Amino acid sequence: MDESIVSAVQDDLTGRYLTFYIEDVIYSLPLNHVIEIIGIQHITHIPSVPYYIKGVVNLRGKVVPITDVRLKFGLPERPYDDKTCIVIVMINDMHIGLIVDRVAEVVTLEKMNTAPPPTNERRMGDSYLDSISTLSEKIILNIDCMKFFQTDLAELFIQES
Amino acid sequence: MTVIDPGMEALLETFVYESNTMLEQLDEILLDAERVQNISNDNIDSIFRIMHTIKGSAAMMGFGAISGLGHAVEDVFFILREDPAKLSQVFSSLFDLVFQSSDFLKHEVEQVTDPAYTEGDPSEMVKRLHDLAAVMKGDAAGSTAVNSTSAGGSGAAPSPVDTADRNFMDSRRIRLYFEDDCQMENMRAFMLLTQLANICDNLESVPANPETDASLCEEIIRNGFQVICKPTDSFDDVLAIIESSLNIKSYEVLEDEPIADEEYAGDAMQGPSAQAAASSAPGATAAAGAPDAAGAGAAGAAARTGGTTQAAKQQSLISVSQAKLDKLMDLVGEIVTAESMVSSNPDLRDLKLDNFLKSTRELRKLTDELQDVVMSIRMVPLTGTFTKMNRIVRDMAKNLNKKVELITYGGDTEVDKTINDTIADPFMHMIRNAIDHAIESPEERLALGKPETGQISINARNAGGEILIDVADDGCGLDTEKIMAKARTNCLLVKPESEYTDKEIFMLIMNAGFSTNVEVTEYSGRGVGMDVVKKNLEKVGGTLSINSVKNEGTTFTIKIPLTLAIVDGMNISVGDTIFTLPITSIKQSFKITDPKQILYDTDGSEMIMIRGDCYPIIRLHSHFGIDTEKNSFTEGIMIQVESGNAIACLFADELLGEYQVVVKPFPTFFTKYNMKEKGLSGCCILGDGSICLILDVSNLISKT
Repeated sequence: MDESIVSAVQDDLTGRYLTFYIEDVIYSLPLNHVIEIIGIQHITHIPSVPYYIKGVVNLRGKVVPITDVRLKFGLPERPYDDKTCIVIVMINDMHIGLIVDRVAEVVTLEKMNTAPPPTNERRMGDSYLDSISTLSEKIILNIDCMKFFQTDLAELFIQES
Repeated sequence: MTVIDPGMEALLETFVYESNTMLEQLDEILLDAERVQNISNDNIDSIFRIMHTIKGSAAMMGFGAISGLGHAVEDVFFILREDPAKLSQVFSSLFDLVFQSSDFLKHEVEQVTDPAYTEGDPSEMVKRLHDLAAVMKGDAAGSTAVNSTSAGGSGAAPSPVDTADRNFMDSRRIRLYFEDDCQMENMRAFMLLTQLANICDNLESVPANPETDASLCEEIIRNGFQVICKPTDSFDDVLAIIESSLNIKSYEVLEDEPIADEEYAGDAMQGPSAQAAASSAPGATAAAGAPDAAGAGAAGAAARTGGTTQAAKQQSLISVSQAKLDKLMDLVGEIVTAESMVSSNPDLRDLKLDNFLKSTRELRKLTDELQDVVMSIRMVPLTGTFTKMNRIVRDMAKNLNKKVELITYGGDTEVDKTINDTIADPFMHMIRNAIDHAIESPEERLALGKPETGQISINARNAGGEILIDVADDGCGLDTEKIMAKARTNCLLVKPESEYTDKEIFMLIMNAGFSTNVEVTEYSGRGVGMDVVKKNLEKVGGTLSINSVKNEGTTFTIKIPLTLAIVDGMNISVGDTIFTLPITSIKQSFKITDPKQILYDTDGSEMIMIRGDCYPIIRLHSHFGIDTEKNSFTEGIMIQVESGNAIACLFADELLGEYQVVVKPFPTFFTKYNMKEKGLSGCCILGDGSICLILDVSNLISKT
């Protein structure tokens, strides 16, 4: 693909987010990280890894690790239903799947409706938020993918930099 | 640093690859020849051709050192080719010198891709080669006063004219000019000729053999380069090639010009070349028009035949980047999986689909075949690695004043390319060790009643899904007492000394920094050797065992898997998890009928007694923290596994059957968790699309 087209596509994606539900809260991921959404499928359990890493799935011959967002947020586990989805994101050329309760829609968030998260010293450690937006009366919590996987990929990030 | 012409950079990789292949071939020929103490005429020709090609392409790339040395070696063999009888005068010095030259060339070729490459200085070697040539020539004066440096370039000159005359009717003549300042016009002309050689029956040029003499550049710039060719198919093809060639400024198709022809003939016949040709073929048949009679002309002819055989080889062999092969392998693995997903799709269960079944059977046959073919592409014979060892044996034996003979069996055994590359180093270390430590000096050997010449044998053979390679010597054997003493000082002992079996003692030498040699020599004693052997073997899933009898010799037996990409595995279930256990590591599996068979160590760890030996038990479910209903030994199954010399029993729920699986590494996401150390070497995708985990037996055992 032509470089200009690629950048044009990326330009199109900035400001656009995929929103999903965990319990009743709406979260969002920047769309340029999202590769695809697949239904829940058989996940092969991997022993001796943190409990929120559910295992791996076979995505057309590719072995993709799967993280449960609920568990990562410290929420109780809940049985998967037909609304449960795996959102495949790409971070540092690596495919990772995120289990979410329900995918909502793709939205465009305006900068003027977006505010930074409160800087509360005590909670900084496990905050994955990039910003908080409002869209037609609804509150959307924007997740920062890098922060979200920081603990898991710390070593890899260090190696690269 | 040598600046490489940017236009040549694309050719650099090909140059390195070709030169390496040829240098290896050269070594092989030389070793064979040295063994039988004679070089056959065919071999002289081959060496000559190899040197000629290396020299030519190095000159084209602008590597003066390589081409200079190549030229000098070529000179020597040129003389030999004229009169093989001279070989006896210079035999031993010739071999050493050519081996040294080959080493130098190898070193240079290795370095050229390095951006900081500076050319080595071969002048010393070139001088000695010239001296050698002079010695041979000195005796030859009178009979063949051939000046080899000029003979190749000019001797062939008569032939083009003659051929041109004879085939005048259908030959065409093209004159072309290269762009100003494009440099190395002679090499460019030669490249063009090689390209044209494929589509022309008869190909001549004025000046002839431009690659042999850089001074021809000027002539080409002044008069243009003339190609006289008789196209195989159509003349347009020839023009198309010329048009597509780089750096050609202009070309014209000349009308028949018999007079000009004569002039060129005259030009070409002048100078030292004519004399050389005339003197080598008394009676000056060259002028009479019998091209093959001109002795010196043979050089040009050989260069041409060399060119064509190479072209023929290029057509039947192509080199492909390994990344592409890996990708292909991946795809085939996916196709195999996809195929079984389709044919055993749960949606189709209980349906009667005769035609569908027929088609899927056909599909399976094809995918199986495809898989076999792709696997075979990655397989390379071990011969190449073995041949390199010959060279090490020769050099070391010479330097250490020992007599050693290397015998290899089963060089045609094929292994995966990756494995072949990884085991070259271990081999080298083992052979070095064998020669340096094991094989005694000829005097000692005679005193011990052994044959004067020590023997090292490498024996490769196929055994199931594995390759077994024995590296055996008939030297002094391993000294258990010395090893124990050394282990004691290095604090490597982990249990009471009396409990060590011979095998365990031998394995101690695999530890890093272990050398019983008092002195560090050029070849060994630093203690890195066997450590490297072990590491490299582990990398490809191989194991090593040692057997040694004092004063009779030592045998290292290496066990390596045929391929890394596809593994024959036994699937076992533990709770809901499916693991794959490489078949090669399984010794046996059995049920425990009576709980009393289980023994308990003082710390409570479980063990089992099998045929008089006691082995630890690893409960897979508790090792990996998996819930299962089969907690008691009588419900599940026991699998005895082996890795290297360590044996243990794994306890699993059930055996599910044998499968061939495509191994995939864990996603980089898991790097942090170091799965390998936890006893998992990778994952694989089963026929139904689900993923199972491959157990790493050696780590499983060592972690208990």
